[in-house]
Amino acid sequence: MRRVLLLIACAMLAAAPGAARAETTPAGSAALFSSLERSAGGVNTLSSDFVQEKHLGMFKTVMSSKGRFYFGKPDRLRWELTAPVASGFVLKGEKGRRWHERTGRSESFQISQEPVMKLVSDQLFAWARADFSWLKSEYRITVLNESPAALRLEPRSAATAGFLSHLLINFSADGRYVKSVEVHEKDGDFTRIRFVNTAVNKPLQADLF
Amino acid sequence: MPVPSFTLFERLYRFLSRHRRALYAVTLLVVVLGAFAASRARIQEDVVAMLPDDGSNVDRDFRLLQLAPFTRNVVITLKAKDAGDPGALTAAADRLAQALAEGGAGKVTTGPADLSGGLFGWLGSALPNLATGDDLARLEAASAPAEVRERLRRSYQRLLSPEGWALKGSIQSDPLSFSAIALEKMRFLNMIPNMRLVENHFVSADGRSALILIESATPMTDSAASRDLMDRIDRAVASGVPAGMSATVLSGHRYTLLNAETIKRDLYVVLTLSGFAVLAIYLLFLRSWSAFFVFLVPSSILVVASGAIALSQGSVFAVTLGFGGVLLGMADEYAMLIFFYCRQGGKDPGTITGEVARPVLFGAAATMISFGVMLMSSLPGQRQLAVYSMIGIVAAVLISLVVLPHLIKPAPQGTLPLGNLNPGWRLPRRPVLALWLVILALCSWQATKVRFNGDLRAINLVSPELRQAEEDLARTWGNMRDKALIFAEGSDLESALGVNDRLFARISGRFAPGELVSLAPLLPSAARQKENRERWTAFWGEGRAERLARELAREGDALGFSGAAFAPFLATLTAPAPAATVEGLKEAGLGELVDSLVIRSPGMVRVLTLVPDTPQLVSALSEELKALPGVHLVSQSRFGDTMGDAIIRDFSRYMELTSLFVLVLVVALFRKPSRILLVLVPVATGLICMFGIMGMLGLDFNIFNIAATILVIGICVDYGIFMVCRLAGESDPAASRAVLVSGLTTLAGLGALALARHPSMQSIGITVLLGVGAGIPAALLVIPALGKKEAP
Repeated sequence: MRRVLLLIACAMLAAAPGAARAETTPAGSAALFSSLERSAGGVNTLSSDFVQEKHLGMFKTVMSSKGRFYFGKPDRLRWELTAPVASGFVLKGEKGRRWHERTGRSESFQISQEPVMKLVSDQLFAWARADFSWLKSEYRITVLNESPAALRLEPRSAATAGFLSHLLINFSADGRYVKSVEVHEKDGDFTRIRFVNTAVNKPLQADLF
Repeated sequence: MPVPSFTLFERLYRFLSRHRRALYAVTLLVVVLGAFAASRARIQEDVVAMLPDDGSNVDRDFRLLQLAPFTRNVVITLKAKDAGDPGALTAAADRLAQALAEGGAGKVTTGPADLSGGLFGWLGSALPNLATGDDLARLEAASAPAEVRERLRRSYQRLLSPEGWALKGSIQSDPLSFSAIALEKMRFLNMIPNMRLVENHFVSADGRSALILIESATPMTDSAASRDLMDRIDRAVASGVPAGMSATVLSGHRYTLLNAETIKRDLYVVLTLSGFAVLAIYLLFLRSWSAFFVFLVPSSILVVASGAIALSQGSVFAVTLGFGGVLLGMADEYAMLIFFYCRQGGKDPGTITGEVARPVLFGAAATMISFGVMLMSSLPGQRQLAVYSMIGIVAAVLISLVVLPHLIKPAPQGTLPLGNLNPGWRLPRRPVLALWLVILALCSWQATKVRFNGDLRAINLVSPELRQAEEDLARTWGNMRDKALIFAEGSDLESALGVNDRLFARISGRFAPGELVSLAPLLPSAARQKENRERWTAFWGEGRAERLARELAREGDALGFSGAAFAPFLATLTAPAPAATVEGLKEAGLGELVDSLVIRSPGMVRVLTLVPDTPQLVSALSEELKALPGVHLVSQSRFGDTMGDAIIRDFSRYMELTSLFVLVLVVALFRKPSRILLVLVPVATGLICMFGIMGMLGLDFNIFNIAATILVIGICVDYGIFMVCRLAGESDPAASRAVLVSGLTTLAGLGALALARHPSMQSIGITVLLGVGAGIPAALLVIPALGKKEAP
């Protein structure tokens, strides 16, 4: 379950060149992944707004929230929810900090001592590096569409497969950033995150992290 | 003046003088058979030799102490030189663990079982069985409307946050975080104080060290298997630890190995050096080819005694063999007496044998009594030592009185080597006595400073490296091994858990969080669980469940939750909860913890509780727990004290009985009070000086010093008997020469023991060296000085 959220957060970090050819053979997938890896090498910063829609059975209606996302190469990340409540976290190397508007407090943590955050950072940075060899070890990746790129990820481990059905990741038309991520759970619930106003390699303020 | 004679030996000499070949052949055969039996003996090096086997509390406590968690584990600390990369540390721990497992070291653990699966769910479902009255009071507060609103908002916000992705299921089943109450009970299972979990690995608080535990089937008392295990581990460490990291390995196996190898080395050194030293003394003082036969006597005794023990008991404690060096040094005194009298000549050998038999048998009787008392010891090692020594003494007497007189020829003109060496008659009497009295006074004063140390660890060798590793382990992980253990005992698990419940209720209030390790909060007895469940059912049945459901619906609706969102949670408030069981805890990922705290043996189950091992606490708990049947507390610190008490008790009994028996023997043999006192001068001087110098040097009196003291008594009484039992009046040089030379050989044997690295052998060597070293001049100088006044 934890990996699901991480993938959502980090999938958008992947930048895909729009010139990828539409092939679904293993060789074609490998070429697409290589292309994504090469393109990611040129991404130094990302910033984007996002809208999160939770289609959960325990809610009467779809619960929407929105926020902002920042990434700075090699190991800085900010995930910030702005509505309906303000909360979020920052990762910087091995250290992290989280805050909640409700409590008015922020707290520091070591990523390695927080299993959830460890998974977050592992996956985020794997995506930032477009480390497909690692992602392929965790998920079976199917190329649904090459241009714009669309991937379906199914967990390999039985433990993860116990609650996660699959991820759907859609890239922008030019392939430089992720447009949306869908996390489908076993019980039919799913979450969709749409990234908008994405900026690549735009200078980020240092105090963001 | 006619010399008292034992005609039996005189007649035996005359008879055997006609059958010498048969005598030599039988003697040789006995020695060869002894050597063969000794060569097949199994040497036992463990501490079992020095543990009481009388079913006493000391024995039981020692065995219970072995049940402490981590005692049976190999503990490896993998340390990074630089902090800051926990990922690299845990990855290195995984690689090392894999190398260890592939190397056949045993079951390797780098962290707890995966807790993400079932633990939190188990805690939530088990709460009705675990919740105490206090817990329900907290739930009452948590169910208040304002608290429900706050807690539900918190859950809602967590659902929207990245964390919420992992928490949907748990929020649905426990939106108000009631299971935090059960989670808090986990603090009673923290057995490694300075540990935190990083990526499910045991990592130190400073983030620089990872802990790896190996569960090996290799018995710690098996030195050969321990060697094999340590080799496997060392190879894995050499290949599996990356640059920039180091690994420290600690386990009982390492101690066993160190002690076994040290004892073997000591045996080699002691026996070799004492053999050469005795030979050199013989060459200097005896200067005769027939001295070779005297030299053979102690060697033969060693072989015969070892063989006899091997035949009768199967295995020989290494410390018993080590004691062979001592025996080698002391057992020649009878042969020495025969030698000097035979070399002195003047009478036919049969007559000499009969006359010398008297002091030899008297001395041997006194020594046998000294060792015989040790047969009453509850320590198998001491009893074996007694048997070994007594066999050696009997063999020494028989060889000396039966075989040796046939092998030693009189010296030309009856002159003895170094004939002018006769110090006792050349030193002025008054200064000798004055100096003796001053030394006695000083040593008597210092003897009061001797401390008794019953800690078994004091007689085990601990190398600086191991000591450093122990200190590092304690510094890195906190006090994870030196805990006092409290066992709740029962004939089955349920009765043991019942006792454990009462124990926890009794003592839990004493401890700060993290100090007490107990299963009771998470695994109460079935009876206590039933009690908790009934209280839980009554609590929610009093309208609270309905009120909470309404509150939850109202607050949930405001946040957008559906009406059925928390149905699973509300169902748990009133539905029957499955009992908390050992199996359930194991399935939840706490199997290793449970296995280390629930110890089953035939007909008995023990549930273990751990508390800090401080003398004050242990003392207070010991008193308090007397009121709880089925509870047994053991602690390393108290065990040391108990052993110390046992040593003092044993020692006092030995001293009393030995003194009494030896005194009775001496009185029976010498009758005249002044001669009795003279006989006792060396032994009294030896003991007082031994204790005095030990006190002066700050040496502790340990379990091995008891054997040493018996030896001092046996040897020094012999010297007194030899000196007082003179055959030809005060100018008889043979007795003095025998005391001097046999004393020197004894010191040579003991001196070699003092060179041993193993504390047990060193203890024997140093303390007996002091006692006998003082007894010899007392026999050679003080007895003649006092004897002049005493002589008519």
